[in-house]
Order: sequence, then C-alpha cells, then structure tokens
Amino acid sequence: MSAPTTPPPRVALVTGGSRGIGRAVALAFARNGADVAFSYRREPAAADETASAIRGLGRRVFYRASDAADATDAARFVEEAASELGRLDVVVPNAGIAPDTGWEEVAPETWTHLLSTLLVGPYATVRAATPHLRVSGGSVVLVASIAGFSAYPEELPYAAAKAGVISLARSLALALAPQVRVNAVAPGWVRTGMTRELYDDPRSRTAIERSTPRGRWGEPEDVAAAVIFLASDGARFITGETLVVDGGESLGWRVGRLR
Amino acid sequence: MSDLAGHVVLVTGGSRGIGRAIALELGAAGATVAVHYRSRAADAAEVVRRIVEQGSEARSFSANVANRAEAAAMVRAAGEWKGRLDGVVTSAGIYHGPALEEVGAEDWEEMFRTDVEGTFRTVQAARPFLDRSDRAAVVTVSSVLGSHAAVGGAPYQMAKAAIEQMTRALALELAPRIRVNSVAPGFIRTDINRTGHEDPAFHALVARSTPLKRWGDPEEVAPSVRFLLSREADWVTGTILGIDGGIALR
Ligand SMILES: NC(=O)c1ccc[n+]([C@@H]2O[C@H](COP(=O)([O-])OP(=O)(O)OC[C@H]3O[C@@H](n4cnc5c(N)ncnc54)[C@H](OP(=O)(O)O)[C@@H]3O)[C@@H](O)[C@H]2O)c1
Ligand SMILES: NC(=O)c1ccc[n+]([C@@H]2O[C@H](COP(=O)([O-])OP(=O)(O)OC[C@H]3O[C@@H](n4cnc5c(N)ncnc54)[C@H](OP(=O)(O)O)[C@@H]3O)[C@@H](O)[C@H]2O)c1
Repeated sequence: MSAPTTPPPRVALVTGGSRGIGRAVALAFARNGADVAFSYRREPAAADETASAIRGLGRRVFYRASDAADATDAARFVEEAASELGRLDVVVPNAGIAPDTGWEEVAPETWTHLLSTLLVGPYATVRAATPHLRVSGGSVVLVASIAGFSAYPEELPYAAAKAGVISLARSLALALAPQVRVNAVAPGWVRTGMTRELYDDPRSRTAIERSTPRGRWGEPEDVAAAVIFLASDGARFITGETLVVDGGESLGWRVGRLR
Repeated sequence: MSDLAGHVVLVTGGSRGIGRAIALELGAAGATVAVHYRSRAADAAEVVRRIVEQGSEARSFSANVANRAEAAAMVRAAGEWKGRLDGVVTSAGIYHGPALEEVGAEDWEEMFRTDVEGTFRTVQAARPFLDRSDRAAVVTVSSVLGSHAAVGGAPYQMAKAAIEQMTRALALELAPRIRVNSVAPGFIRTDINRTGHEDPAFHALVARSTPLKRWGDPEEVAPSVRFLLSREADWVTGTILGIDGGIALR
C-alpha cells in the first residue's frame, strides 16, 4: 500500500511574507503555481510590492497586517485566507524578529513578547489551519534557526524560542499524522533585513563568511528552496524533520585542522 | 523539481532498492548516471536501459565496495567516463540484525568493510573527479538506525552512526567546494528487508509504529537525494535528512 502522490500545493500561507525569507518563500510558491496568503507586521509598502510581484506571476494573493504575537488575530488571518483563497495546502509560520537582548537583563515583558511572536504565534497559526490542512492533505513548514541548537547568549530568548520551534515541529508532526506532515527548516546566517547591520559592517560580514564552511551568506532563496522541497510530493514520507540550511555553519570546528 | 541536466552522478548500489530508485530519478531529472552494482549485472543493465530510454546517458560499473582496491578502481573508471563527477551517492550497503552473542568476526568485518569503509573509500576515490566540478555534492545513505536505537543489529546501527559522522567530518573537510549530506531512511520496502516486510505481522508492526502509518517506498527516498544534489541545495551541507514517516519521533 504505497501513498498516493499529492499534487503540487495550490494555496500557500506564509506569515511575515512581505520581506526577507518569507517573501522568497511566498514568491517561490507563486512561481510553482500556488496562490498565496501572507501577513506582515507594519510596513505596507514592502507588503504591497510583494503582493504585486505575486500577481505579476499570475497568482491570486490575500494579504494584510496581522501581528504574529496576537494569537487571536493569527487564527483569524488563517480563516480569512482559507475563505478568500478557497483552501490551504501549505502553511509556513515564518514571521519573526531577533533582537539583541543579551542574557543578563531580559525583562519578563521581553520574554513574553518574543515567545508570543516566535512560538505561540506559529502554534496558533498551525492550530487554526489544521482543519483545512486535514482536508487538503497538506503540510506545515516551520521556520526555526540554528540558534535553536547552538549557543547564542547574545539573543538568549530568541534562541530558546527557536529551540521551541524545533520541538513544535516534532510534537505537531506526531499530533497531526498521518494526514498532515509537519517539518521545519533551520537557517544559518541569511542576508535579510534582520541581519542587515551585520552584513553592512565589513568586519562582521567577512567574519560570518569565514565561519560558514560554504564560504558565503545564505540568500532568502536558499531557504525558500528547502521549504518548497519539504512541502512537495517528493517529501511525502518526511515528517517531524528539521532540515538545516546553514552552509555548514553548525557543523563544528572550522578553524584550521585538528591534528 | 530540481533539474540535474548536465550533472554526472555515480550511484553505488544502483542495481536494486533505494539506489535503483535514485538512479532512475536522477536520470529522469536529466543527469548522466554511472550505475554501480556488485554482482547483479542484469539488474544494473535494466536500470541503465530505463535511463537511456528516458533520454539520459547511463552506464554500469561493478565492484565489491568492501574491497578497497576494487572500490577505488570502480570509482576511477566511473570518473574517467566523463572526466568528472558532479555527484556521488553511496547507497551500496548490507544489513544484518544479529543479537549481541551472535555477532561473529565475519559479520563484523563484512558490515564495517561494506557500509563504513565502502562509503568512505568511494568518496575518497571520487574526490579528484569532484574537484573538477563546479557543483559537486555527495549524498551518503544512513538510516533512522544511525541515531535511534533498536534491539538487534548493533553493528549495523554503529555503521550507520559512523556514516553520519563521516558526512559531517567530510562536509567540513571538503568545504567550501564539495557539499556532503546524508539521507536517513526509515522502513523502506526493498530486498534488504524482504523477509521482514513479507511477514504480515512484522509488516503491520512497522506500519503501526510509523506515524504516517505505512512503509516507505524507494521512490520516496529518491527525490530528497535529487534535491540535495541540485543547485537548489547549494547552501545545504553537513545535513542528515530523515525520510522515515516520523518513526524517529518517539
Ligand atoms: N535572517 C537570518 O539570518 C535568519 C536565520 C535563521 C532564522 N531566521 C528566521 O527566519 C524568519 C524570517 O526572518 P527574516 O530574516 O526574513 O526577517 P526580516 O527580513 O526581518 O523579515 C521579517 C518579516 O516578518 C514580518 N514580521 C516581523 N514580525 C512580525 C510579526 N510580529 N507579525 C507578523 N509579521 C511579522 C515582517 O513584516 P514587516 O515588514 O511589516 O515588519 C517581514 O515581512 C524569522 O522567523 C527568523 O527568525 C532568519
Ligand atoms: N530499505 C530500508 O529500509 C533502508 C532503511 C535505511 C537505510 N537503508 C540503506 O539504504 C542502502 C540501500 O539499501 P536497499 O534497501 O536499497 O538494499 P538492497 O535492495 O538490498 O540493495 C543493495 C544494493 O547495494 C549493492 N551492494 C550490496 N553489497 C555490496 C557490496 N559489498 N559491494 C557493492 N555493492 C553492494 C547491491 O548490489 P547487487 O544488486 O549487485 O547485489 C544493491 O545494488 C543501504 O545502505 C541500506 O543500509 C535501507
């Protein structure tokens, strides 16, 4: 009894889809023939531009501002997207922020805000999408980070939340099996608005190039390709996985040789 | 799906099972495929025939990868065929599942020679040919048993763990030019586990234990290998990708 092949996704939902990785994911789905729903937080100009790029690819788009930290609105956004575009085949909770909070003086409000945005929001999005995904036999691709398993005291709550996202992928994969697959990608250093300051400073830019075995920063399209693959029929026996997309950053010691 | 037109790829263990599905998938994606086998020449020839029928080039190469000299000579022959290799997939492998007290010297040697050293020598011999490619990538084949334990067959599980660490070590050593990744399949119906999947009780037990509620097929491993070899995975290296229907989750 082998699994029936699944047709390519017809409707994809991406949170934080106006810029950066989310934008690349949204456009990649559109290029592959899917209509796209995406949310953003507060920059309508970028959102309008992404929406017209999706339309330019001949696909329908539904988008509006919806703060991932507001679980109620995150769920409402999913419902609106499903009714507007008729169904949901793939959900990519991607919205995120990565402030340099350090570890010493992280106020409880900071914790609450980051965990709400990075962990509760994605959970609320997937939870609301579940009935639609069960109908379509769709899948979820969460956006974690290598910060979820390597040490990043500079942004301790972010790293802890991303560890939580990897955990979400595993628990939700079991909870939603066998109808819905749930996976994650864990990117390393990707050139987006989130990392612009580090990229613009030649010192940190080259330090990161050197610390990445592949010798370059990631581009949003590198991550989008992995998301598209995990959501495709080719990945139909993959669930609960976190696919690391980091140019080898998290592998181990790369300074010289151990002799 | 990822286009491999212009890629020259060696697939070890390409005559049967997972390697066969990979060879066919790569051929369908436009790759030129060197199909390796040990002794089943007719099976390898059939894979070659099907790839050629689809419009790609293919040729078979034989070797016992447990034999160092044979493995190296086979890889050299495959590399010299087109003068370079853009991809190497190491699917040649065996499985034994004896209990601790039944593991004899021969079992041990055959397992480590074939699965661990066979994989290692293949990549080692391929390196000069991969160096001539601008898109070089290696995909090794581990197993869910490389990181999750089961009762019986400890040497197989140790061999697969060794392949996973080999993947990470070589990803670092061969960076930045050559990418090295691994796929870790769960229960996939092939000859390797024929007695298991033909036993209705065992078949049902595996299906029940797998969150996706079924066994996988070799054709469900192949697309991941295709992705990992492609330019789309240009920033993916040192990764172990599980393809196991979720059986590793608990
Ligand atoms: N860049 C990296 O190196 C990297 C590495 C690993 C993981 N990641 C993860 O990848 C994801 C995307 O990051 P990125 O680098 O693409 O970031 P980015 O360039 O800063 O873009 C973030 C996107 O998310 C939206 N957004 C931010 N906060 C939101 C909220 N609370 N509710 C709804 N939308 C929100 C933004 O909308 P506005 O334009 O309206 O603000 C924007 O569309 C994040 O989860 C991040 O943690 C990034
Ligand atoms: N099936 C699964 O459930 C599963 C799960 C996880 C991992 N794997 C791994 O996937 C790989 C392929 O397994 P499979 O299920 O496809 O097995 P299979 O159907 O038994 O095929 C084994 C292949 O390896 C070749 N081979 C075996 N020993 C060799 C040797 N000493 N030298 C050269 N070639 C040799 C065989 O060549 P001939 O045809 O000439 O004999 C055949 O092409 C193995 O590494 C296995 O451990 C399989």
